[in-house]
Amino acid sequence: MTIRICKRKNLSVLLLFSFIILFSLSSCYSVRIVNKDGTPEPDPLNNSGNFYKGKKVHVIDTTISLKLHEGDFYLIEKCPSGGFYSVEYRVTFGGVLLSAITFGKKRKVKIKYVCLKEQ
Amino acid sequence: MATTTKHAIGNWDTFHNNGPFPTKVLYKTSLEGKGNMPSLIDRYNDAATEIQRLLKDALDKQEGFRAYGSAWSMNHVAHQKDNMHFNAEMNIKKAILDDEMHTASTFKRENLFFVQCGNVIKEIHKFVFDHGKSLKATGASNGQTIAGCISTGVHGSALGVGAVQDWVVGLNLIIGPNPEDIVYLERHTEPALNEVFAGRIKARVIRNDGLFNAALVGLGSFGFIHGAVIETEDRFLLKRYVKKINKDLAVELSRTLDFANSGFTVPGETDVNGKGNTAFHYKVFINPYVNDPEYVVEAIYKKPYVAEYPDPLPRIKTAIYRDLIILFTKIAEKYKNSIPKLIKVLEKSVLPAVDLEATGTLAEIFWDAPYQGPAYAIAVGVDHTNSGKALELLTRLAKDEGPIPGIYAMRFVKQSRATLAFTQFPITCMLEIDGLIWKAKKNKIISMEQFCKRTIEVLQANNIPFTIHWGKTADWSFPGLVQYMYGDKATTWKEYRSALLGEKGAKLFSNKFLEDTGLNEFIVNTSPELVQSIA
Ligand SMILES: Cc1cc2nc3c(=O)[nH]c(=O)nc-3n(C[C@H](O)[C@H](O)[C@H](O)COP(=O)(O)OP(=O)(O)OC[C@H]3O[C@@H](n4cnc5c(N)ncnc54)[C@H](O)[C@@H]3O)c2cc1C
Repeated sequence: MTIRICKRKNLSVLLLFSFIILFSLSSCYSVRIVNKDGTPEPDPLNNSGNFYKGKKVHVIDTTISLKLHEGDFYLIEKCPSGGFYSVEYRVTFGGVLLSAITFGKKRKVKIKYVCLKEQ
Repeated sequence: MATTTKHAIGNWDTFHNNGPFPTKVLYKTSLEGKGNMPSLIDRYNDAATEIQRLLKDALDKQEGFRAYGSAWSMNHVAHQKDNMHFNAEMNIKKAILDDEMHTASTFKRENLFFVQCGNVIKEIHKFVFDHGKSLKATGASNGQTIAGCISTGVHGSALGVGAVQDWVVGLNLIIGPNPEDIVYLERHTEPALNEVFAGRIKARVIRNDGLFNAALVGLGSFGFIHGAVIETEDRFLLKRYVKKINKDLAVELSRTLDFANSGFTVPGETDVNGKGNTAFHYKVFINPYVNDPEYVVEAIYKKPYVAEYPDPLPRIKTAIYRDLIILFTKIAEKYKNSIPKLIKVLEKSVLPAVDLEATGTLAEIFWDAPYQGPAYAIAVGVDHTNSGKALELLTRLAKDEGPIPGIYAMRFVKQSRATLAFTQFPITCMLEIDGLIWKAKKNKIISMEQFCKRTIEVLQANNIPFTIHWGKTADWSFPGLVQYMYGDKATTWKEYRSALLGEKGAKLFSNKFLEDTGLNEFIVNTSPELVQSIA
């Protein structure tokens, strides 16, 4: 009997856990903006088998902590060519959750960008 | 100073993983910053000095040296085991100045531009567009470098223009480490730029049609192409239609290319008598495994440029009838891990029906290629009058001795003057097979090597003269292949190469691909006239 209750508890924990995983998976997505006429900065050593293959990729993966009076922030990045070829912003469940429970004071930022090739 | 970074890479691969190939060193040269060296010509010459330093290093070590661009060639033509040089950061471009024009030039100054080797087609599109101009033709997309395109003879967007090398009117080569090793080549019958220009890039000039034509499709083996003078034209638009039409009609039109008398017409693309206008580009897509009574065709017509037109790109991005490999990978997406399943899908499915229209510039219509995974591409060139027969033979080959995971297409290109251009027929039909690389044993089907070999044997057995795209998959070691395809032209090419580079230079710029094809042969005692200007 005890065992059965225990199992049921386990089951509900499992269900909850699966729900969280499913939810976090489905709420994990990225948006990529690509410059139509731009040429990406090349990187012959990037052999990733995806969109970024052959392109020089910059990654920002950090958590920004804002002070009480700070609502907005900028990430100031530098491209030698002065322009971005593509920017990919990744939204994760963890990031949304972190922002929610800290009332927006901690923001998880996951960005991948490629600069324009220098002209 | 231009800076070169050196990477001991061990292996090098093409963009679509047709290797890997063992390689000692990869060099990447970046130009001096504009702030430190504001003059564009100074930066160009500074890069030349750096390339000469690398060439001297390789010569001193008795090693080979090979420049490459975007690694889009799908074989070992761009590979060299000792030293490979990645060019893409060498991308100076400039308009031609009044004082640089040759007095006998028939070119319009404003149509000419000088571009450094590492410029990719996309950035040249933008540069010339900003000068009110357009490139004349490209391949089906825009990621290759200009030097890479010229070296293999990239074709594909324009039936009546020719391939990329056909709008190149001057070539700046670096053939060794000494001052006299910087040369500027032009046709003597079509001079473009003068000694003032040559002086600015510190080059000695050779105006000689034979040498120029040989150097154009140089397979990376005619020296280091540092820059090219290209001819553009006024901006124009292209209107693109994709339709499914009767298969016999599509093949008949491929054979005749007589748009005026073909049963295939596009409403709005006819003359006053209702006869079809000649298309700027014509392409036929074929799934060899299905007996579909209809083929998908793409016909593109040239239009005057206007500033306002609906943006074609959102539609093109979802459209799959663009590059053959895009179409194939869209079909193959779900089955790439199971080739037999993929073939079953091909056997069942006809190519998706379509009726598309879009208008855009050359740059927009032949835009980015989205596929980054492993792939092969076989492309044979035949006289367009043989296109129907060749298509029948090679689709039968896939059915009888295959299957192979790939689909077919045909594109058409005007003859090139380049000695080793695979677009050598009055109008060449490029018959292409694109697909995913497969493992023969695992999938219990014919191997890629065997299929490529059989392609050559079948065309030979049926007496169909053919060529093969230098940047694509083939049995490049097939005995006597190049001689069979090009005859005396192959010898002419070797003579000019030997005369220009000398024995040491010929070795420096050789590679396994050249050895496999026999084009590495050095011809002694060539006439000095081969490398002299002709008045
Ligand atoms: C997605 C895709 C689409 C394609 N579409 C087409 C198409 O529509 N039409 C078509 O004809 N082909 C097409 N191809 C083939 C491809 O365009 C050619 O093989 C082209 O040569 C590749 O250019 P690259 O800049 O990548 O040169 P690479 O492949 O890097 O090099 C090609 C050759 O150029 C030489 N080279 C490069 N730079 C220099 C230099 N500075 N000096 C001397 N030699 C040099 C190399 O040594 C090599 O021999 C396609 C390939 C891919 C992957």
